[in-house]
Amino acid sequence: MNIMSNDMGGSGAKRGRAGEKNTLGPNSEIGRKLKQYYDGLVAEEIPDRFTELLKKLEKTEAGGKEG
Amino acid sequence: MAVSAGFRNDLLAAIPSLRAFAVSLSQNADKADDLVQETLVKAWDKHESFQMGTNLKAWLFTILRNEFYSQMRKRGREVQDSDGIMTARLAVHPSQHGVLDLEDFRAALEKLPDDQREAVILIGASGFSYEEAAEICGCAVGTIKSRVSRARSRLQEMLKVSGEEDFGPDAIAAQVMGSNAA
Repeated sequence: MNIMSNDMGGSGAKRGRAGEKNTLGPNSEIGRKLKQYYDGLVAEEIPDRFTELLKKLEKTEAGGKEG
Repeated sequence: MAVSAGFRNDLLAAIPSLRAFAVSLSQNADKADDLVQETLVKAWDKHESFQMGTNLKAWLFTILRNEFYSQMRKRGREVQDSDGIMTARLAVHPSQHGVLDLEDFRAALEKLPDDQREAVILIGASGFSYEEAAEICGCAVGTIKSRVSRARSRLQEMLKVSGEEDFGPDAIAAQVMGSNAA
C-alpha cells in the first residue's frame, strides 16, 4: 500500500487550494485584482499567428521530415 | 510519432492561458507572443515526452517559463521602459477609496521581483495548487508559499491596501453626490 505516493491532484491539491483562499481568494482585494488583471489577459482574442503556426506545424509533419 | 489531433486541440485551447502567463512574466505583449510561439513549437517537438493524463497546462507553463528565463539570460536583464512612467503615476494617486485602479495594480505587479510575480500569478490567478506551482518553477512548495506571501505584502504596501474591508461606501457616495451636484 502506498498512501504517500499517490496524493497528487487528490486531497493534497484541494487542501492547497483551500489554503490559498485565505491569502489571495475573493475576500482579498489583492486577490480580486489579480484575477481581474489575469482574466482580462485570458479573454483577449487569440492572434491569427498561433492558429496559423499550428496549421504549419501539422503540414510540416504530414509532409515528412524536412532536410 | 505523429502529433494527435487531440494534442493539437489541447494546445490551441491552452493559448489564452499561455499568453496571460507570458504577459505577466515579460510585461510586454510582443515579447509575450514570441514566448508563446516558442512554447508551441517546443511543445510540438517534444510532444512524445508529455505523459497523457498529466497536466498539460502545467507542462506548457513549465516550457514557457524556462524559455522566458533562458531568453533573459541571453539578453541580459533589460530595463522595463514603462517603469519610470508607472512609478510616477503610482505616486500621484494611491487608491483613495480602497477601489484599486487596474492600471495601478498592473504597475505594482510589474515592480515585483520576477520570482514573486510568477508565484502570485500561478497561485492567485492561473489556478495552480502550491504543489503544481512548485513543480513549474522547479523549487520547494515552501519557497512558493513564502514568495506568494512576500508578493502579497509588497502589493498591499505599494497599493496602500491594509485590511480586507477596503470597500467602504465612500466611493459610491462620492459618485452619487457627484452626479447630483451642479
